[in-house]
This record gives sequence, C-alpha cells and structure tokens, in this order.
Amino acid sequence: MKTLLNQLRFDSKRLIVRSLSFFFFSILMPAGFYVLFTKVMLVGGSSVQQQQFAKTYMGSMIVYSILISAIFGIASILKRDRDQGLLVFLSLAPKGTLPYYISVFICILGINLGAVVVLGVLAVFLNHVSLSANQWFNIIGLVILCQIPLLLIGTAMSFIKRQETLSVVSNLVTFPMAVVSGLWWPINMLPNWLQTIGKLTPTYFANNTLSQVLTNGTVDLKNVGGVLAWLGLGVALVILMAKRTASKGVVLDHG
Amino acid sequence: MMTVIQATHLKFNYGSQQVLKDIDFTVEKGEIIGLIGENGAGKSTLLNILLGLLPAHGAATVLDRKPGTAFNKAHLGSMLQGDMVLSGITVLEMLQEAAAQYPKALDPLTVLAEIGLQAQGNQRITNLSGGQLRRVTFGMALVGNPDLLFLDEPTAGMDAKARQDFWQHIETLRQQGKTMIITSHYLEEIQQIADRLLILQDGRFTFQGTLDELQAQHLETVITCQTQLQPAIFKGLPAVTGVQQTGPLLKIHSTDGDLTLKALVPLLDQLHQISVTRKSLEDIFIQMTGK
Repeated sequence: MKTLLNQLRFDSKRLIVRSLSFFFFSILMPAGFYVLFTKVMLVGGSSVQQQQFAKTYMGSMIVYSILISAIFGIASILKRDRDQGLLVFLSLAPKGTLPYYISVFICILGINLGAVVVLGVLAVFLNHVSLSANQWFNIIGLVILCQIPLLLIGTAMSFIKRQETLSVVSNLVTFPMAVVSGLWWPINMLPNWLQTIGKLTPTYFANNTLSQVLTNGTVDLKNVGGVLAWLGLGVALVILMAKRTASKGVVLDHG
Repeated sequence: MMTVIQATHLKFNYGSQQVLKDIDFTVEKGEIIGLIGENGAGKSTLLNILLGLLPAHGAATVLDRKPGTAFNKAHLGSMLQGDMVLSGITVLEMLQEAAAQYPKALDPLTVLAEIGLQAQGNQRITNLSGGQLRRVTFGMALVGNPDLLFLDEPTAGMDAKARQDFWQHIETLRQQGKTMIITSHYLEEIQQIADRLLILQDGRFTFQGTLDELQAQHLETVITCQTQLQPAIFKGLPAVTGVQQTGPLLKIHSTDGDLTLKALVPLLDQLHQISVTRKSLEDIFIQMTGK
C-alpha cells in the first residue's frame, strides 16, 4: 500500500498537477463542447426537450472525456514512459511495474471524475439540470466501470512500437468511435449500416448506460453487459499485445 | 573469493543475427570489470541478459540465482544507456521515486549530494544538461544501495570534471566492496579503474584478464620524442615495428624497448622531450580490432 501511495504521489504530480494538456483535453474541451451545444448553439424543441438534451449531452461529454483520456491519455503516457525507460527501471526494481500501472489508472480515473464534477457543475448551474443523489452516485460508479475497457484498449495500443503509428491509430480510433457511437450527435442521424457498427462500440454502451441513468434513473443491464463484454475483450487484447512484446524481449540497445 | 556472476556457453540471437557466441566468464565479489568492445559487439546485450531483460541460451547465474529474480532485483543497480527525461518531475523527486522501489534504499538527499547535484535538487529533470542527466541516472542506480552494479557507458555526455568525480565515486564504491561491470568507450579511464578486462569482439571474448596480462600479450614499447630527423632513419633501428609522425611528435613502436633505446643513444642530442611508455589499452584495442 505504501508503495502504491508513493507511486500515486509521483504520478499525480507529473500527470495531473503539472500537466496542463490533460486538463485541457480531458476536462476543458468536453466542458467547452457542452456549453457550446447546450447554451450557445441551441437545439430546437420545447423547454422539456432542451432540458432532456442538457442531461443526455452531459452523459455524452462525460463518455467523450473518458474516451480522450483512455485512448490519447493512457496510450501516450504508457508509450512515453516505456520509451523513456521508466518501465524498464521499475521492472528491474523489486516492487515491479504493478503499482505503476494501478497508479496511472487511478490518475486517469481521477481526471475523469474531475470531468464529471466540472460537467455536473455546468449542467446544474448553467442548464438547471436536477438529478437525485442516487443518480449522481450511479454516474460515478458507471464512469469507473465504463472507462476500464477503454483504458485497456489504450493500454494495448501503448505497445505499438512507433510513436507516429500510435498517433495515427489513436486518431483513427478516437474520433470515428466518438462519431459512430453518437457522442457528438444522435446516432439515428447516421446511415443504418454505420448505426449497426456504432451500436457495437464500447462508447455506445457507455453513453447509453449513462443516458438511462440521467433520464430515468435506472441502470440498463443490457448496456452494462455490453461494457463488460468489451472489458473482457480489452483484457484479451492487453494480454495478446504484452505477450507479443515479451516474446521479442526488451531490446534496449544492440551494442 | 565469492563468485558473483557465472556465465557458461552463453549465446544470444536477434533474429538470425548471432550477437553473443558461446560466452564463458566469471566475476568475483568486489571486482571491477571493464567490459569493452566496439559498437554492436554485444556489450549491452550481455548486460541485458544478466539483468534478466533478455532470455539467452546457456547458463548464467547472478548472485547465485537466475538473472531477473526478486533477490537479484533487490541487490542490483543498473545504469543503462539513455536517461529518463520525465516531464513535471524534479531531480530529487526522481531519486525519491527510485528509492521507494528498494527495501534497503539510501537517503535520496545523501545520494543527491554524492552525485554532485545538490543545487539542482528542485530543478525539473527536463532542464538538465546531458551530463547532469547521466548523473541522475547514476544516482538512481545507487539509491537502492546495491551490491552489484551494471554501468553501461556511464560517463557519456559528462564533462571532464564530472567524469573525474564519477571515477572517484567508483573508487569509493570499490572500497565499500561493491562489484561492478562497466562498459565505456573512454578506454583510458577504464584502464585506470578496472581490475580485469573483458574484450568482446564479434560476440566472443578475445581477452579476459588484467591490463598487465594484456600488455604482456602485446609487448610493445612506444618511444615518443620531438626531432628534426627524418622518420625513415628510425625504421632501420633494432626491434622497431613502426614509426608514426603526428605533427611535431614522432612515435617509435618497438618490440624491445631496451634494444631500441640503446640504438638511439648516438642520436640523443637531436631528440627532445623523450618519453617511453607501454602500449595503452586504447592502442592495443585499436590494434586488436583494426579500428
């Protein structure tokens, strides 16, 4: 526990407290989108519909924040730390790399919970969204659950050898996934074939789960099942990538 | 003497490229080993195998255990090539992070002073020079208070003063009974500190022993002087194998220094600033590798 706390202190300083880019991309950007689409570029409809949109769009932006942190955040953090030699250093030390992985995951989780707080404050004070304490607790629990598959996908992506390739793959995964799963605009605006794909994405299940909680206060087990299925897939993907890398050995220098 | 490292028939391939070919060697407790070889000879690969980072064919034990065991990790410090430049972290925080990984770690503040970066303790790692970064990496290798140290090109990028301080520190560690394997391209530094040399060429050890033993195998005296005489005059002297003119300096290579010096007596009034040395490690290494 002491090792984990030490690692957490170290990682939170470098990844959160002293890193503005995370704050910007994971919290300010989704918050900006939320204000833009709920206060500046107003959608039509009755005040009840607008209120409904303010609630569900908050859920979408929470999932978008999770997606950005997981795919761009965790993949680039792990890749950078691996390239810098931090992971080799820790793997050569008696405590190993497990506390590091847990600590980085907790940091990302903290950033995402920060996004929930910021978006929640905006929703309550700007759009007068009203949710019960139970709904807020469910949102926090679901944010934790829904981001695990995405964090695992990001972790698997961090094993990509070249930084340029990782950057391309991150862009190819994040933005199309955000669009087809209906985070930026409603999924029913997309062609049917694209909707079919979108409804299989982890962000679709996460967004739908949060929407259900925000609108009816219930947790939809079908969507939670989808998240859990992606969790299994994420674990398999990480194991596969880690084994593939391990089989090649940790090549530091051929000299 | 206690054997700290033992390797028998060690082999390693990167794909179809054979990097290490049937290596045998031992390292005793308290020894400082100079592991030298050209770029790509397999030095770093060998260290990576001993650290347990790369799997190899053959048998290798480090501290009586297979490489990479938890016991080894607790008693081993390594300074590999390349330095960590993590953003948002100070020098002291980096040492504290390293210390937190070890059960019998030293005080990071003490190590900070030992590596001569007390004034930079609160500076971000990203603002350090290459030589200072290398010292942080050295500090990270030391902070776990290891018994065995692997130092891969430890002085790369350090200025002359920092290199001098570094070797003095190594001397202190020797007095504490630490065992060390050091690779370096600064052969004149290695020859001063190493108890034994291992010369790795094309994946094999072509020499294992002390500098004296190596020099005995490459018996040659170098007589250096300044003269107006033509180099050709010296080529015909007894035991002379070669004459080199480098600027005002003339280097006469001889297989029998005494014989050649006697032959030089009649010319002494025309020779100035004469010095007689045995072949340096660098000279022998260049002769061995042809580079």
